[in-house]
Amino acid sequence: MLIKVKRGWELPESAAISESQYLNRRSLLKKLAVGSVLAGSALSGGMSLSRRAYAETDPSADLYPVSANGKYTVPERPLTSEKDATTYNNFYEFGTHKGIYEDAQAMKLRPWEIRIDGLVEKEMTLDIDGLLSKVQLEERVYRHRCVETWAMTVPWSGFPMSQLIALAKPLSGAKYIRMETLADKEAMSNLGAFWYPWPYTEGVTMEEGMNDLCFMVTGLFGKPLPKQNGAPLRIALPWKYGFKSIKSIVRFTFTDERPVGYWEELQDSEYGFWANVNPEVPHPRWSQAQERLLTTGDTVPTQLYNGYGEFVAGLYSGLQESEGIRLFR
Amino acid sequence: MIDYPWNDRAGRFNWLRMAAFTLAVAPALWIAVDAATGGLGAKPLTETIHRTGHWAVRFLLISLAMTPVRRITGWNRVITVRRMLGLTAFSYAVVHLALFIPDQGWKLGHVASEIVLRPYLTIGFIALLGLAALAATSTDAMIRRLGRRWQVLHRIVYGLVALGLLHFFMQSKINATEAALMTGFWLLLMGWRLAHRMGASLKSPSVMAMVAIGAALTAALTEALWYGAATGVPWRAVLEANLMLTPWPRPAVITLIVGLVTVPLPLVKPVLDRLRRSVKRSSRGSTSIRA
Repeated sequence: MLIKVKRGWELPESAAISESQYLNRRSLLKKLAVGSVLAGSALSGGMSLSRRAYAETDPSADLYPVSANGKYTVPERPLTSEKDATTYNNFYEFGTHKGIYEDAQAMKLRPWEIRIDGLVEKEMTLDIDGLLSKVQLEERVYRHRCVETWAMTVPWSGFPMSQLIALAKPLSGAKYIRMETLADKEAMSNLGAFWYPWPYTEGVTMEEGMNDLCFMVTGLFGKPLPKQNGAPLRIALPWKYGFKSIKSIVRFTFTDERPVGYWEELQDSEYGFWANVNPEVPHPRWSQAQERLLTTGDTVPTQLYNGYGEFVAGLYSGLQESEGIRLFR
Repeated sequence: MIDYPWNDRAGRFNWLRMAAFTLAVAPALWIAVDAATGGLGAKPLTETIHRTGHWAVRFLLISLAMTPVRRITGWNRVITVRRMLGLTAFSYAVVHLALFIPDQGWKLGHVASEIVLRPYLTIGFIALLGLAALAATSTDAMIRRLGRRWQVLHRIVYGLVALGLLHFFMQSKINATEAALMTGFWLLLMGWRLAHRMGASLKSPSVMAMVAIGAALTAALTEALWYGAATGVPWRAVLEANLMLTPWPRPAVITLIVGLVTVPLPLVKPVLDRLRRSVKRSSRGSTSIRA
């Protein structure tokens, strides 16, 4: 009997081909639509963006690309184009619109200190390069579902959060991990809007953090993570709505109190702590039944736990949906 | 009779109508150019829905500004472009709704159920139905047929704009700045109408300053009330933010500035008229010398 076992470095064929296809399609369409002169300037505009984004050589650049973990692939969806994934971003510290990628370049990535505190054996401060030298990096292709009903599929590089938890050595009383984003007034223009609850905060339970799917991200598309995507360290929680996947993390606090996230603080009727993806449970203002894929523009049905039920459904089997626990919002 | 939109009723080219027409089509052209060059980003449909919605509100306010601008400046001809601007607002609103259909994957049943289920969509839809009734009664024939009732009917536009603004506030994810700014402008426009109805002259600097201050204060309170009632943002902080101009002036402050800028406008036309008369006199004078 022939059993085909996918090896770690094997990306699904659809993923490997489609990115270049879609990129080509864009440039072709541009040429057809507005003639070669306009297309030329648009393309060079795109190039200057990528040049700006990677102009500073990231000290961790030599670490990438890393080998792919074949367990986490998305064979049924094409990869989102790198351009879309790196120019359509929610990062409220830089503004409340999606085109913050240029403003985000003001963020300084070195030195980058990460504080680990709360219920741990010993509180500590790590710098990002020290952390990177202590963990095993790999690449995983994940779906990412935003609460705003758009979705993307991208290859993240990083390491399971369980490795970070092992480094932190939490005490037995720790039930939650609270995370904080950098709050640098110099670099982040929207911090001037002082009525928002900065710094951006999010959290997971210890069980969620130990789940293998819970991934600390340091790279994207085989390169260091761009600033607008949450460099140098963010989280990817692909079974939850995107706002849970906090960016540019500077602090991990192990605690016995359930953290209240930035969005929960702002609008708890719409954005809660659990925020697991569920097509059956609408956002108060819109249906979550379907999602639009960036790059292809296709509208596809949304799946329970964003299709990751086999990995994470067990985390919630003991919890009852109630007034205090809204698993899906 | 079908004529070019930039011509007047006598079929002659008219600069004011041309300016209004250019203003009406410019946002559509802007969107089209961005669509062709990738300027609409990774979700072009969503971006176009947002932009057409914004422009629908902006054109509604611009059309509502024509009557007070005429009263303030004494420039009566602005009224001749009011209908065009109102129809422009309606057109952007229609495109705004129409694009929601492909946005929902062309599922008409889903579109209908969303409009019924989500209050902010229901409110926006009702506003659009109202605008459709106003657009349908905007032909010369309908205006003649309805007579005085036309005035009464078309006064509902004030309420329709209020619904549109509520829809604008409710769809904001958290940042309702532009909805609050548009509300500030709407309050200014309503303030001028109220002052006029109460018999005050919009050419009086003190009346204009009072309207500006009143509209700005109401805008500040509306914004703080919105954040306090509908979000977890502390309303006091939102009110306080009006006192500082950084990182950018808040909607109520911009409302105040715009309101105060209009205070000297009543002086413009008399000065221009005097200049024109003196130019005419001096040119007559020069011809007489030559003669």
